[in-house]
Amino acid sequence: MKVDFWGHEFEVNMFVGCLGGFLIAIMSSMFGFGGGPFMVPLMTVALGLPMYIVVGSSLLAIFFNTAMGTMRHMQFGNFDLLLFLSMFPAALLGGYFGPQIAKRVSPTVVKRIACAGLLLLALNLLGVY
Amino acid sequence: MKVKFSMLPLLALVMMALPITPQAQAKTEAPAPTITLDKTSLANGGEITVSGQAPAGAQVYVEFYSADKKVRANRFDSKKDPKTGQIPYKFYLTHEMPAFYKILVPKDMQPELDKAKADGKDWKYSEVLKKIGADAAYSAPAKIKIDSYQATIMASIIGSRGNLLDAMDEKESKRESMKLVKGRFGKVDKLLAANVETQPDGAYTAKIKMPAGQAPGKYSVTVTAVTERIKEGDKETVKKVKSEAATFDNTVSFPTVYLDSAGTSINLIWPFILCLVISIFGVLMGAGGGFILNPILVSLFPLPHTIVAGTVMPTVLFSQGSGIYNYSKIKFINWKLGIGVGCAMLVGGFIGPKLTEMITLDQFKFAFGWILIVLSGLMFWQTTPGYLEKNKKEQSILKEFKKRAEECAKKGEEGTAACPTDQK
Repeated sequence: MKVDFWGHEFEVNMFVGCLGGFLIAIMSSMFGFGGGPFMVPLMTVALGLPMYIVVGSSLLAIFFNTAMGTMRHMQFGNFDLLLFLSMFPAALLGGYFGPQIAKRVSPTVVKRIACAGLLLLALNLLGVY
Repeated sequence: MKVKFSMLPLLALVMMALPITPQAQAKTEAPAPTITLDKTSLANGGEITVSGQAPAGAQVYVEFYSADKKVRANRFDSKKDPKTGQIPYKFYLTHEMPAFYKILVPKDMQPELDKAKADGKDWKYSEVLKKIGADAAYSAPAKIKIDSYQATIMASIIGSRGNLLDAMDEKESKRESMKLVKGRFGKVDKLLAANVETQPDGAYTAKIKMPAGQAPGKYSVTVTAVTERIKEGDKETVKKVKSEAATFDNTVSFPTVYLDSAGTSINLIWPFILCLVISIFGVLMGAGGGFILNPILVSLFPLPHTIVAGTVMPTVLFSQGSGIYNYSKIKFINWKLGIGVGCAMLVGGFIGPKLTEMITLDQFKFAFGWILIVLSGLMFWQTTPGYLEKNKKEQSILKEFKKRAEECAKKGEEGTAACPTDQK
């Protein structure tokens, strides 16, 4: 399937894209997150698309996943209003202050710290410590 | 006349027997244990000493639970039945599980509890209860209404629970309630503690240790004294007496709040701060942050993983939405691609949440741990020099596009050759 972006045309294998998206969506909605960090590598590596297309479009795709997942979780009674209300303003504030801080830090450093943090968290979840 | 005569000795015998039977009953009827609580109100947890008088030589058990607050508990039976070799695919659900439930058992049962703990997550609640004799005290959860559904693989995929089956009989319901209790509360320490001390004359004391962060409201305490255990081959008949129910109150005050669906109380400051830090971090990284928020919440607080997953998702939904809005303003989104893949994700997002229900907290943590390892690997790869080089070129093109898009939007020149739209 062909998509174009700002005058450039790209060939996209929608079969791979949809299959990957489908699997990532199952996993991420099962665990309660959007799937963004998985979609970006999927689109850049498996679909071979350049970064500048992927950023916005992956956000749109995972929005579908998050929206549907939210509705289903609510249907099952997994939504706690009080907890949500305590986190929602924080998310809004984070979205507001984040970009301002982002201008001053290098994303590579942040990513490396995130990697270390994720690994520690993963080890904790697996019960290693 | 003959008949009357022969009946007389029989009648006499019956009349003699009658006074004996009530007397015999009076002998085996032990007095109910007394129960006294040294405190009747707690502020977000604390310790209460239960004491009283039980029949001498009896085993004393103390059952206490949240009488006010009920939560949902469910179990998906996907274990192969050893007898039939089939997987039942049955789903059990109740909305009447007490938000807190614990049984205190005699001190000398500690070795049994230690053995159960050594079994890890495979310990069997019903077996342990039987071994330490606490099933005589197990009463509150046995009375809850449990619905059972016959699910099929197809049904689980679409997300329907299946067909509602007929109600189970008392025995089955009691057994299933034990499995639901274990599923809901998990660890041995949460459900059982061996700290009941009895004197030879029958006086007993026990300590109720309420941790912080539990459900507020009325708690009910009942003492069961087992006076006799008669074993006949496989069956065991138990003679027990129960005390009156005593109550105590647990109160939580703002900012600690009781979460209805979770069944636990939490100080709201923590999720707020956590979410703030993680959102900022997420923006810096360029990712959402839901995948960090989830495991941290699950490991730091006594929240069930289903609630965490269901509440974090709408939280990130808004930040995603605003991100899409901002990007689309500068015409940065390829709608065809996004919607195309998005539809596939719609279906996946439909199936996923059903599966959350079917896994246990430990499985959740385990799987998430591996997901995070993969993610951290992916992210590390994104910081390697090779990737950065390739990315740099694309990033600069990205920046250029962004600049052009913003300028076009400002000048209102969309649709011209200088600012091609990407709509088809």
